[in-house]
Amino acid sequence: MSEKNPVGDRGDGTFFRVLLIDDSVFVIKQLSQILQSEKFEIIATATDGEQGIEKYKEFYPNIDLVTCDITMPKVDGITTLEKIIDFDKNAKIIMISALGKEDLVKKALITGAKNYIVKPLDREKVLSRIESILKK
Amino acid sequence: MRVEYINPFVESSVSVMREILGIEVKREQISLKSKAVPILDIAVIIGLVGQVEGRVLFDMKLETALRIISKMNEEEITKFDELAKATITELGNMITGRAVTKLSEMGYRFDVTPPAIFAGKDMEISDVEIEALIVPIETSLGRIEINVALREK
Repeated sequence: MSEKNPVGDRGDGTFFRVLLIDDSVFVIKQLSQILQSEKFEIIATATDGEQGIEKYKEFYPNIDLVTCDITMPKVDGITTLEKIIDFDKNAKIIMISALGKEDLVKKALITGAKNYIVKPLDREKVLSRIESILKK
Repeated sequence: MRVEYINPFVESSVSVMREILGIEVKREQISLKSKAVPILDIAVIIGLVGQVEGRVLFDMKLETALRIISKMNEEEITKFDELAKATITELGNMITGRAVTKLSEMGYRFDVTPPAIFAGKDMEISDVEIEALIVPIETSLGRIEINVALREK
């Protein structure tokens, strides 16, 4: 029986690079553990939206995926999403929030987010959503 | 304060803690406080702004916080450091997020502010013109008091 390739593996010996934007070091740790266990490379982390936008521009075009929190100090997640999409309309951004309000989810998706995960974070849920985005 | 505001917080506290901590959680009798309320060692506070405004506070002893933090991190954590603060804040965040989602489904429109944390002995909190409802939640890791003070604008 052949083993399944890690989700972070592109299949050519290189790995998907991710930028994590979240003001919680706990969430950054939790997401890093989930993603690194599947060989994703965490290229950078940011603890607020302003820093997240800067990091995206700094590492562009070497970022395959961004995870972005909604409720953050300085610049919130929706504004961060808008600014990154303004800069790179092909950016693959997945929003992660404890808030699952319908209007907020709709707003994020209309603004350009590829998906929206409502916390608590579950390993399988996170990986399957990310996999479906990266394979599109 | 209308009781329909508090139920989503109680229900989401019980469901989120059962889900992420995998422990038995029991809700106890609600009490109403209209003056300054003494708070325990660790308090996570989240503000709500919009059609409904006020704040929600998750209050617990340090030992309880450390037991919850250790469980959420799947490793023993004995110091109340940055990771510990972020972990317990995230618990408050998830509970509030689920409650706010429910309230939004009921037609209330408002936003939440990023959580803040207070740690110390002999603190108290006063809410001018808003009475607070306190719901104690008993768990195998210790007791958490959910202190909700909200009003319609």
